[in-house]
This record gives sequence, structure tokens and C-alpha cells, in this order.
Amino acid sequence: MATVQATSRGSLKAKRATPRIAPDRLVDITVQAGVIVVLCLAWEFGARVGAINPFLLPSLSDVLARIWADAMSGTVFVDLGLTLYRTLAGFLIAAALGIPIGVLMARSATVRWFFDPLISVGFPMPKIAFLPIFILWFDIYDTSKIIMVTFSCFFPIVAATYAGTTGQDKWPIWSARALGAREHEILWEVRLPLALPQILTGLQVALPVGMITTIVTEMLMGGRGVGGSMIMAGRFADSVGVFAGIVEIVFLGFAVVRSLEMLRARLLVWHPEARK
Amino acid sequence: MTTVAMAADARHEAADRARTGIHIDNVTHSYGARASGRGVVALNRICLDIADGEFHALLGPSGCGKSTLLYLIGGFLPIQEGAIVTTNGPVTQPGPDRAIVFQNFALFPWKTVKQNVLYGLRKQGLKGEDAEERARDYINLVHLSGFEDAYPSQLSGGMQQRAAIARTLAVDPKTLLMDEPFGALDAQTRRVMQEELRAIWGRSRKTVVFVTHDVQEAVFLADRISIMSSRPGRIEHVIDVSLPRDRGEDTLEDREFIHLSEQIWRLVREQAVAATRGR
Repeated sequence: MATVQATSRGSLKAKRATPRIAPDRLVDITVQAGVIVVLCLAWEFGARVGAINPFLLPSLSDVLARIWADAMSGTVFVDLGLTLYRTLAGFLIAAALGIPIGVLMARSATVRWFFDPLISVGFPMPKIAFLPIFILWFDIYDTSKIIMVTFSCFFPIVAATYAGTTGQDKWPIWSARALGAREHEILWEVRLPLALPQILTGLQVALPVGMITTIVTEMLMGGRGVGGSMIMAGRFADSVGVFAGIVEIVFLGFAVVRSLEMLRARLLVWHPEARK
Repeated sequence: MTTVAMAADARHEAADRARTGIHIDNVTHSYGARASGRGVVALNRICLDIADGEFHALLGPSGCGKSTLLYLIGGFLPIQEGAIVTTNGPVTQPGPDRAIVFQNFALFPWKTVKQNVLYGLRKQGLKGEDAEERARDYINLVHLSGFEDAYPSQLSGGMQQRAAIARTLAVDPKTLLMDEPFGALDAQTRRVMQEELRAIWGRSRKTVVFVTHDVQEAVFLADRISIMSSRPGRIEHVIDVSLPRDRGEDTLEDREFIHLSEQIWRLVREQAVAATRGR
């Protein structure tokens, strides 16, 4: 046993001592960044050489120059801010509703009987089809957009939470009980942490869905926001403006999804996935 | 006398004897639809007295209901018929006087070794430096110092099981229930853990109920062994292990140990053969 201990202790120490980014990971990052750089260069020079009509595909530098100009005048931040606000507000409301309902479905047959058919029907349904109704009910401003986003995000969150909290391994729960935990403590201290990986997966599925829904509602309803500005640019045959919107949304989407990934890594340090 | 009165009477008698130890009185347990007669009788009229401070092994082929009996003592399953009485009265629910170690460790994977051990201590109302110190002591006891801040997924199976044992021992239970705790470990680790458990038991004088299907493990660890038959689960033999209290490496070569193991192996084999033939 002494040797077993010594070696495993050594390997743990070694793990702690490794630099934050391992060499093979560094190669990965370099290659991936390289691919993006090559694509950007191809875009830039493809457009410049005149192989493609600059109206159909304006050069990257023109698009970046437009974003810069809009950033100077402040409109980029208004658009991005509004789009981000609508996405996050809808997403957070969906999480605040979806996680408790998912847990209750797993805990109570009555709640499950009520919600299960609704979710079975709602999950595969194209939620955006409800937009005309929401516009009718809630007008064309923030409320209807946020409700639309909440509606889209709700289903993946509730389904993942239900899957995570139902049929949980009974052993940690029995252990907690034997150690003196009460039933309501077990929900917070055992059941939710056990379901956390799946709940986070549900949130990670829902967030890009919320982003898409925000952009689409903005495009359909007009007004400020990245989607609205793109539609406006399109109406004026301003292809540089449309591409500016695409590039902005790429960055916003990447930043938002990456933040959630980082939150997951932080919350699941204990999980075997953290050591892959 | 009505059956209710008889049951109450039996419970009283059991309570009288239960000043110490564990008393299992006519316990019957079935799974599935019992009323329709399609249920499976897992345990049939089990009577067993386990003395205070005794190391008792429940030995039998898989499916004989030995784990069910352990879960009933632990209070994890409702008692359908009969009664189980410990020093703290009749068993109705789980409690820290009867802590349990499961085969698959059942640590909280999101807590470090130390946080796992602290969890039970906090539930017992122990706080601050007192709790920390007690946790440290028990982590030392199972030779895991240096791994306080490791998560279970970073540890080997043997280390995880030692962490689980530390978590269980730290709440200082009167009775230690163990459900094939070393079943998932490799042979060498298993041997070391058996010796350590026997040594810990020798120092702490707790009552241990140890479920296993391994004859040598039962003989090496226990003072008394209940051999169970399957479907319906019954206790067929209760055997005293007349080996010295201090047991170690050389116990395994002890003539008495080998003789007893062979004798018990024959009894268990009868049950296993009967089980496969379906009686």
C-alpha cells in the first residue's frame, strides 16, 4: 500500500505542476487559429482580386472598417448591447422557470403528469411559429422578443434538468441520509449537485438557441439590435452593413458560449471531464 | 391473542433485550406486488441477535437477500414484517448511529475528501476547528493525509473506499454497516483493507455488520458468520469463528483458519448449488 500511495501522490503533484496549457493543446490552438486566419485571408484577397462581385461579398477590410466606424459612433454597442440583453434576459427567465419545473417533475408525479405532455409536444415544435401570436399579445418591443426567447430556451433546460434529477444514483442519497441529512437538505446538497452536469448541458444547448431566436425576432420586428440593423442594411442594399452584422454576431456568440463553457469548467472541477 | 397484539408483544420482548446490540426479530421482506402473490420474497422470518461490539458477517450467494437485510438494519427500506431493535430503539429510518459503507463508495463526487468527511460532522452539529480537527484525524486513520483536497475522481478505488470509511467512522456510529465494501477492489488492495478494517475495529470496539460473498473475507474478519440461503432468504447456519482477536498476515496460514474456511465453503456451496437448481 505504501508504494501505491507514494506513486499516486506523485502523479497528483505532477498534475498540479503542469503548466496551464499543455504542449499538445498549444499545437491544437495554433492550428485552429491558423485555419481561421487562412479563411480570413482567402476572404480578403478573394474579394480584392475581383474574383467575386464586391457587392455580393465585400472584402473583410471594408467590413472591419464599417464596424470600426460604427463603434466610433457608438451604434455597434447599442446593437450588441440590446441583442445581448434580450438573449440573456430571456435565457435567465427560462432557467429560473425550467430548472425548478424540471426538478419538480422528477420529484412529483402530479407535476410530471401536467408538464410531460406539454413538453413532449413543445420540445420538437418550431417555437418561432408562435411569434405572430406573441407580437399580437405583447407588442413589437422588448417584451415580446424576450418572451419568445424564454419560450425557446425553456424546453431544452427543463428536459435536461428532468433527465438529470430523475433516476439518480441512490447511493449518495442514502449516504447523506445515513449521515443525518433531512429530505429538504438532500435536494439542495445532493440531488442538485448530482444533476449539475446535465443541467449545465441543458443551459449550454439553450443559450445558442436563445441567441438565434433573438436575432430572428429582431429581423422580423425591426428596430435596434444586431438583427434589426442587418435587415435595415439589407433593405438599403448595403451588403457591407449586412456582413458587419454577421461578424458582430460571430464575436458575440463566441464570447457568450465561451463564457458559459468557462463557468462549466469552474463549477465542474470535480468532474472527471475536467481532467480530459 | 390477535396478530397485532402478538407483534406488539414481540416488539416489546425485542426491546427488552435491546439494551445493547442489534436484534432482528422475525423479519420478512418481499419485493414487488406482494398482495397479488407475484412478489419475490427476499427474506423469510429472519431472527438474529448481534451482540454489542461484535463483528458479524452475513455470507451467502448473490441474491440471497443479505444486502436487503443490511438495508433494513440501516433503515433505508421500510420494515414490512417483524422488528429490528438497536440500542437506540426500533429502527424506522436511517440514522448516524448506524452508518453505512457501500460497495461503490458513494462518496459525494463534487466534494473533496475533506469536504466529504466534514459533511457528516456538520450534520452532527460539529463546526469550525473541532470539525476540521476530527476530519483530519479520520483522514489520517485511513492513511489519506496529503489527499484532503483531492476529488474522488482523482483517487484510485482503494483510496476512494478509504475516504468513504473515514466519512462513515468520523460520525462515530455505534454500528458500522458494510455492504461488500471491498468487492470492487483488486485482490492486493482488498487484503490490505481487510487488515486495516480489522485493526480499526479492534481499537474502536464498534458493532460491525459486514455483507460479503467471499468466504475467506468473512472468516478473516468476523467473530460470527451467518450463512444465508437464497429465495426466500433465510439464515441457515450461524458459525462462531474461534480465531484469536489479533489477526494478520499469518492468520491466513493458520490451520484453524483453513479448516474453518473449507467447512464454511462447503455450506455456502450447498446454498449456491441449491439456488442455481432453483430448488
